[in-house]
Amino acid sequence: MLRFIASRLARAALTIAMVVTFAFIVLRLSGDPAQIIMGADAPPEAVDAFRTAWGLDEPIWVQYFSYFWAILQGDLGRSMRDGRDAIVLVTERIPATLALTLPALAIKICLGIPAGIYAALHRNSLADRVVMIIAVAGFTVPSFVLGLLLVLLFAVQLGWLPSGGQESWRHGILPVITLGLGGAAVLARFTRSAMLEVLGQPFIRTASAKGVPWHAVVTGHALPNAAIPTVTIIGFMVGSLIAGAVVVESVFSWPGVGRLLVVAVANRDLAVVQCILLLVAITMVCANLIVDLLYGLLDPRLRAAPGKAA
Amino acid sequence: MPEAPLVLAASTAPPKRRRAAAPALVIFGMAWLMLMLAVAVLADVIAPYAYTALDLRNRLSPPILFGGTWIHPLGTDELGRDVLSRLIYSIRTSLLIAFGATIIGAAVGTSLGFLAAHFRGLVEQAVLALVDFSASLPFLILALAVLAFFGNSLGLLVCLLGLHAWERYARIARGLALAAGAQGYAAAVRGLGASPWRIYGRHVLPNIASTLIVSMTLAFPEVILLESGLSFLGLGVQPPETSLGSMVGYGREYLTRAPWILLTPASVIVLTTLSVSLIGDWLRDGLDPTLR
Amino acid sequence: MKPGGALLEAEGLVRRYAMRRGIMGRAVEVRAVDGVSLKLERGRTLGLVGESGCGKSTTGRLVLGMETPDAGRVSFEGATMPQPGSAAWRKLRARMQMVFQDPLGALDRRLPIATQVAEPLDIHNIGAVSERAARVEALLRAVGLRPDQGALYPHELSGGQRQRAVLARALATDPALLVCDEPISALDVSIQAQVMNLLLDLQEQFGTSMLFVSHDLRAVRQVSHRVAVMYLGRIVEEGEPDAVLHDPAHPYTRALVSAIPHPGRMGQRMVLQGDPPNPADRPSGCAFHPRCPVANSLCAREAPVLKPRADGRLIACHVAHGEVAAGHGFTGQEAA
Ligand SMILES: Nc1ncnc2c1ncn2[C@@H]1O[C@H](COP(=O)(O)OP(=O)(O)OP(=O)(O)O)[C@@H](O)[C@H]1O
Ligand code: SF4
Ligand SMILES: [Mg+2]
Repeated sequence: MLRFIASRLARAALTIAMVVTFAFIVLRLSGDPAQIIMGADAPPEAVDAFRTAWGLDEPIWVQYFSYFWAILQGDLGRSMRDGRDAIVLVTERIPATLALTLPALAIKICLGIPAGIYAALHRNSLADRVVMIIAVAGFTVPSFVLGLLLVLLFAVQLGWLPSGGQESWRHGILPVITLGLGGAAVLARFTRSAMLEVLGQPFIRTASAKGVPWHAVVTGHALPNAAIPTVTIIGFMVGSLIAGAVVVESVFSWPGVGRLLVVAVANRDLAVVQCILLLVAITMVCANLIVDLLYGLLDPRLRAAPGKAA
Repeated sequence: MPEAPLVLAASTAPPKRRRAAAPALVIFGMAWLMLMLAVAVLADVIAPYAYTALDLRNRLSPPILFGGTWIHPLGTDELGRDVLSRLIYSIRTSLLIAFGATIIGAAVGTSLGFLAAHFRGLVEQAVLALVDFSASLPFLILALAVLAFFGNSLGLLVCLLGLHAWERYARIARGLALAAGAQGYAAAVRGLGASPWRIYGRHVLPNIASTLIVSMTLAFPEVILLESGLSFLGLGVQPPETSLGSMVGYGREYLTRAPWILLTPASVIVLTTLSVSLIGDWLRDGLDPTLR
Repeated sequence: MKPGGALLEAEGLVRRYAMRRGIMGRAVEVRAVDGVSLKLERGRTLGLVGESGCGKSTTGRLVLGMETPDAGRVSFEGATMPQPGSAAWRKLRARMQMVFQDPLGALDRRLPIATQVAEPLDIHNIGAVSERAARVEALLRAVGLRPDQGALYPHELSGGQRQRAVLARALATDPALLVCDEPISALDVSIQAQVMNLLLDLQEQFGTSMLFVSHDLRAVRQVSHRVAVMYLGRIVEEGEPDAVLHDPAHPYTRALVSAIPHPGRMGQRMVLQGDPPNPADRPSGCAFHPRCPVANSLCAREAPVLKPRADGRLIACHVAHGEVAAGHGFTGQEAA
C-alpha cells in the first residue's frame, strides 16, 4: 500500500510539473513574455529592466528552472491590471466560487446517483426512460442556455429571484440550480451505465442464482462495484470545485474565480491566468489522488495485488 | 473497399448482431442533422440577408410568432440585423469548427495512439503521460489559458478545440492496435513483411474505424458545446464572424426586451447536440458495446 | 535421409520477459526460453513439443526473428537475422513465414480471402500485377480451396478452410521456412488430419522446411524428421521421432509418451506429479526435478546439460546418461 501511495504521489507531482512546463512553454511561444507582461506600450527601458529582473536574457533552461523555482516559492507574478499579487487576487475569489460549487456538488450527488441507480434497477421502465431523457437533455443543454432560461422564467417573467449579482443568498439560488442540474444529469447517466455494466457481470448472476436475495445482491455486490467508476467522475467534479463555474459565474455576474478567469483572459492578464491554471491543476490532481486511494479501498484486487507479488 | 466503414463493420462482424430499426428519436436526430448540414452548405443561397446587413428601421423587431412581419421571419437585433440570416451563418461557422476540431482530434489522437502502440517504451510512456496531463485539467480552463496566451483566431480556435478528446482516441487506438498486434491480424501482417504504414493504414485503421467513428459522434456535441461556451464568453469566435454561442452571448443583453435573439440560437444548439448525442448513443449501443 | 544442409541455425537462444503482477506489483523476470539451440535442414521438419507455457511459441518467434533474443543468435541461410522491423528484415519475410494457432485471429476480418492471400505478393512486389490473380487462384487450389472461395470473408469459412487460407497466404512468396505454431490445435479432430496431410503434401511439392510446434506428440511424429522436447524453456531431449516415441529416454518425455492414450496400455500410464512448471520460479538444478519420479539429490543441485548419448540421441538428464543412479524423486519426500 505504501508503494502504491508513493507511486501515485510521484505521478501527481509529475502532472503538476507538466502543467508548469506547459505554462512555461506556452508563455514562451506566445511571444516576448516581458513585452506581454509589461504591456505593449511600456517604455523599452522598463521592458529591459523587467527582462534582467526575471532573467529573461539567460539561457532558456536557466529561465525554466528559475521559473519553476519561483513557482515553488509561491511567487506567481502580479496582475498587470492592478499590480497586486495574482495569488491574492485569486484566493480572495475562492470563497464566492465555493459558495456556488459546494451546494451544487451536493445537488449533483443527491440527485444524480439515486436517479442513476433507480434507472438501472428498473431498466426500460417508464422511470428509466424519463431519467434518461432528462439526463441526455441535461448534457445537451449548455449551462449558459439553462441559466438564461432560468433567469428568463424566475427573474424576468415571475420576478421571484434576482437575475445576477451576489448581494444575498437568494442571488445564489439560480446559479446553484443551473450548476447542479447539469452535473446531476451527467452523474445519473454515468451511474446508470456503471450499474448496468456491473449487473450484467457473471458474478452478479451467480450470486442471485445461489439464492442471495436481490436487495442483498444489489447492496452487497452491485453498488460497491458500480461505485468504482462513479467515484472517478465525482473526483473530477471535486477537482472542478474551484473553476468549474466559469460559464455560470459569467451568466449570473457572480464574482468568483471563473469570472476572474474570463476577465483575465480577455485582458490577457497572464499572471492571473497562469495562477488559476496552476490552482486548478493542483486541486484536480489532489482530487484524482484521493480517488486513486479510494480505489484501493473499494477494489479488493488492487489492495491484494502488492501483497501477492511481494 | 467501396462501402463505408460502418456498413462494412456491421455486415462482416462475425457474431452477426441484429440491427434494430432506428428508434424515432434517432431518426429525428438524423433528420435534424441533415437539415443543419444542408443549411451550413447552402448558407449563401438561403440566407435572406448578409449577416452583417443592418436594417435600422426595423430594430429589435419580433419574430412572426410574436407578432412580427415576414420581412424578418425570426426578428432582428438591436442593430436591425436579420436573426434568421445570422442564425444560418452561425450554424455554418459552428458546424465547420466542430467538424474541423473533431477530425483534428481524431487524427491527432489516433496517430499518437498508433505511435505509442508501435514504438512502445519511451514513446508510449510519453503519450500516456500526455494523456494523464490532459485528463487532469478541465478542458475549458486549458482552452481559456491558451487563448489568453496566444490571443484569438479562428484557426487557433479550431486546433485548440481539436485537442479536446484527443486522449480518448489515443487510448482507443493504442488499446486496439496493441490487441491486434499481440497475436492478431496486425502481427500476422507484420510477419508478412508489411511496412508499418501498411499495417496501420490498410489493416488496423479500417478495423477500428467503427469504434473511432462512434467516439467522434460522441465527442462532436461536446465540441459544439465548448465552442458555443467560449463564444458565449466572448472568447471564441470574434465579431464580425458569428457563431451560435456568440449569438447567445450577444442576445443575453436583450434578454428582457428581445428574448428571441437568444432563444433561436440556443434552441439550435440544444437540438443539434441532442441529435448528435442520440445518434452517437445509438451507434455505440449497436456497433460497439465495449465503449461506454 | 536426403542431404539438405542447414537452412536455419539457432544457438543458445535466451528470451526473458518482465511480467508484472497486478497494477503495481513488482516486475518478475520470466525466462520463457533459456538456452535453446536447434538446427533445421532444407526440406525437413523439426517438431517441437512440450507443455503449455514451456516456451515453444517464443522459440518459434525467435527463430523467425519476430523478436530479438536476449542472448544467442539465429542465422538463416548462413546470414545473421537482421533487426526486427528493418528493411532487410521485412524483405526476409518473403523467405520465412508463420502459420498461427488461431487462423481467425491471424486474418483481417474486413478483407476477402483472395486479397489477403495476394497481400504478400503486393508487399514484396512479386510477379506482375496482372498475374497475381492467377497466382492466388493456384495457391488457393494448392491448399484445397476453391478459387471462388477467395471472394469470401474469413468468418464465412470453416476453421479448417481458414487455416488453409492462412497456409495459402504463407506459401504465396514460396518461403524456404515455415513455422507452424500449433496449426491444428484449434481445429476439429477430423479436420486436423486433413491439414496435417496438406502440410506433408505441400512440403513435398515446395520443399519447404518446417518448424512444427505442438503439444501433441503424435501429430509431431506424423510430420517431423526430428523432434525436440522442451521443458521450461530448454530442450531436454532431441532425436528421431519414432525412436523418441518408442524409447523415450528423458523422464519428462516418458511421462509425455505415456500420457498418449493407447488402447490396451491403460495400466502403465505415468501421471506427472507436482505442480505444473512456473517459468517465473524456476527450480534449482534440473528444472524437472520436483516432478521427476527418478530424481536424485544431484538433480536438485546441478542442471544436466544437453549432450548426445552413444546412439546420437540428445538428452539432458543425469540419470539417463548414467551419471547417477535413479533416485525416488522429490514429490514423495515433500509430502512426508
Ligand atoms: N509477450 C510476453 N510477455 C510476457 N510474458 C510472455 C510473453 N510471451 C510469453 N510469455 C511467457 O513466456 C512463457 C512461455 O510462453 P510461450 O507462449 O512461448 O509458451 P508455449 O509453449 O507456446 O505455450 P502454449 O502451448 O500455451 O502456447 C509463458 O510463461 C508466458 O507467460
Ligand atoms: S533424473 Fe534428474 S536430471 Fe533427469 S530429469 Fe529427473 S530430475 Fe532431471
Ligand atoms: Mg504457444
